[in-house]
Amino acid sequence: MATVIQIIFGLIAALVVGAAVMVVTVRNVIHAALWLIACFFGVGALYMLLEAEFLAVVQVLVYVGAISILILFAIMLTRQVTGEGVRQLVGGWRLWLTAAISALLFAVAIAPTVIAHRWNTPAPPGPPGTPEPLAGVAELGRAFVYEFLLQFQVAGVLLTVALIGAIVIAFEERARRRRVLTLAEEHELRKRLAQPQPVEAPAGEPAPAPRATPISEGEVQQ
Amino acid sequence: MYDIVNSLINVAFGWGWPGWVIALISHLAVTTLLFVIAPFQMLFLTYYERRAIARMQDRIGPNRVGPAGLFQPIADGVKMFTKEDIVPTAADKWVHFLAPCVVVAPTMLMFAVLPWGPGMVPADLNVGLLFFFAISSISAVGLMMAGLASSNKFALLGAMRAVAQMVSYEIPAVLSLLAVVMLTGTLSVVQLIEAQAGLFISSADVPGIPDLGLGWFIFTPVGFLAFIVFFIAALAEGERTPFDIPEADSEIVAGYMTEYSGMKFGLFYLAQYVLNFLLCAIAAVIFFGGWQGPGVGWLYDRAISPANPDGNWVFNVLAGFLGVFYLLAKTYAFFFVMVWVRGAFPRLRVDQLMDFGWKFLIPLTLVNIVSAAIWVALLRWGPEQGITFTQNWAPILRWGVAFVVTLAVNVAAYIALARIFAAAQAEQGRIDLDEYRDTLTATLR
Repeated sequence: MATVIQIIFGLIAALVVGAAVMVVTVRNVIHAALWLIACFFGVGALYMLLEAEFLAVVQVLVYVGAISILILFAIMLTRQVTGEGVRQLVGGWRLWLTAAISALLFAVAIAPTVIAHRWNTPAPPGPPGTPEPLAGVAELGRAFVYEFLLQFQVAGVLLTVALIGAIVIAFEERARRRRVLTLAEEHELRKRLAQPQPVEAPAGEPAPAPRATPISEGEVQQ
Repeated sequence: MYDIVNSLINVAFGWGWPGWVIALISHLAVTTLLFVIAPFQMLFLTYYERRAIARMQDRIGPNRVGPAGLFQPIADGVKMFTKEDIVPTAADKWVHFLAPCVVVAPTMLMFAVLPWGPGMVPADLNVGLLFFFAISSISAVGLMMAGLASSNKFALLGAMRAVAQMVSYEIPAVLSLLAVVMLTGTLSVVQLIEAQAGLFISSADVPGIPDLGLGWFIFTPVGFLAFIVFFIAALAEGERTPFDIPEADSEIVAGYMTEYSGMKFGLFYLAQYVLNFLLCAIAAVIFFGGWQGPGVGWLYDRAISPANPDGNWVFNVLAGFLGVFYLLAKTYAFFFVMVWVRGAFPRLRVDQLMDFGWKFLIPLTLVNIVSAAIWVALLRWGPEQGITFTQNWAPILRWGVAFVVTLAVNVAAYIALARIFAAAQAEQGRIDLDEYRDTLTATLR
């Protein structure tokens, strides 16, 4: 059983690493985003292999289902990045310098873990045949509302602020928003405009009921 | 399945194979079975939909191939296979090729947690319900790939519409399920069905009444509202008619499928119908008890199960057949409602779709979650949770008070939200003459 799991782990890990390499090497931005999705999915599979079912499902739900869609939308709505052969931000020795700095920063982050972590920890105790789930949904939820309540609330406030900010940015004044009129509405408006002087520009009127009368050019000219 | 294969290989033949080989064989067998069932469901559903919609439009529908036109879907399948596969020159070849696979694969994976009958579930994950919706959100990536790779305006528009619709209607669907999860306290689909045994008047079992398998959540106010919202969201996720703007053929040809032909188009079609089948089935499982129904519980008590190892296998077969029958009957009834809605309603506009999802369904589900909390507090909580006044009430009284309170909350929320929503829509539909004065007078000259 252990060998089978090792083989499966090897395959999934190869997928994750290969996809991650492709993300940064491929020239087409959309292809890079798709490789990134493959990478996320592989990480979800790794969680599943660790029997952290909830984490795996949330990984797929949040990263594959939402974040990647967001990335694809961002690419699609940004001009001039979808083509191949886009110029890289830096080149020559600066590229190497950038690579070295990022590698150094990553090493600073990962080194304490690599050195201090105790590898080969024994399997969690439990009756043979029924391994304990690493973190069930109930345990995670309880930890959120008891142990990590402050962090949970701060994250919630942060997300709410982001949501409100997005609405404020995207909000459009009603006066500036125009929609395409239906034929019946346009006809009704034209009729009112064509009258000599409308009675003090009515503040508003309900959308007129759709009328079957077609607009003829002569009728409007009156 | 594991037990059957194990007894066949290790006990009957005595080969003594290791456990993982047997697990592999049994899972492969179940998977193969499901992969065979899925296309047949799709074939049957296309026939069913065409016949039903024809009845509503005063036609007969397919009736030439085979008895009563039953083999029409097979003829269509042959036609799909023999058509030429065209890839546009400007298309992104690999992404264009992969997109149908990415759309079909998640729908097949969703079968993994669907229970067909008592003890008949391919994989009983303890987060099965969440798995179902997480996996279904992957197909949005496939739709996006199809739209981007086709290098066609209609395909891109269709993909954007499809993805925007799926992402926004996932929220009311998941929130409405959250209310049901609060009622049961579990995310496992199997336990969800087991919680719906008993009798519908009370989740707190009345003694002396046999298990009729009718404790469906649809009979509680919380479950009813959740079901309505979930079904509307399912219509949107499955791109059924009032929400079929991603492939509105009178506006944008066929949406993201525009540049696909032959079997690749067939795969999109397959994915859509299998997804519809699965959404109907999961609605039946969550709100209508899945395989629960009169008689299944009685039969399964006498069958071989982990709780009762010395049962009779005949009852296994009988309980399985009856359970699958109940599940499929409910599923096809929901699919009929989908067809019915298609026959009855016109297509929504994009802004109407978004407004309805975000401004009406989501607030409604949030209120529903609050009333689910009230339900749980009145029915299950006692002094240790801080609810003392229900301590001496009889179970029936508790149930009745909870029913009335949640019903009142839900109905009040529905009426208030419907009024606010209608007022907002009327405000949006208002046309100011002054705003259009310039444009209109310019065209007048």
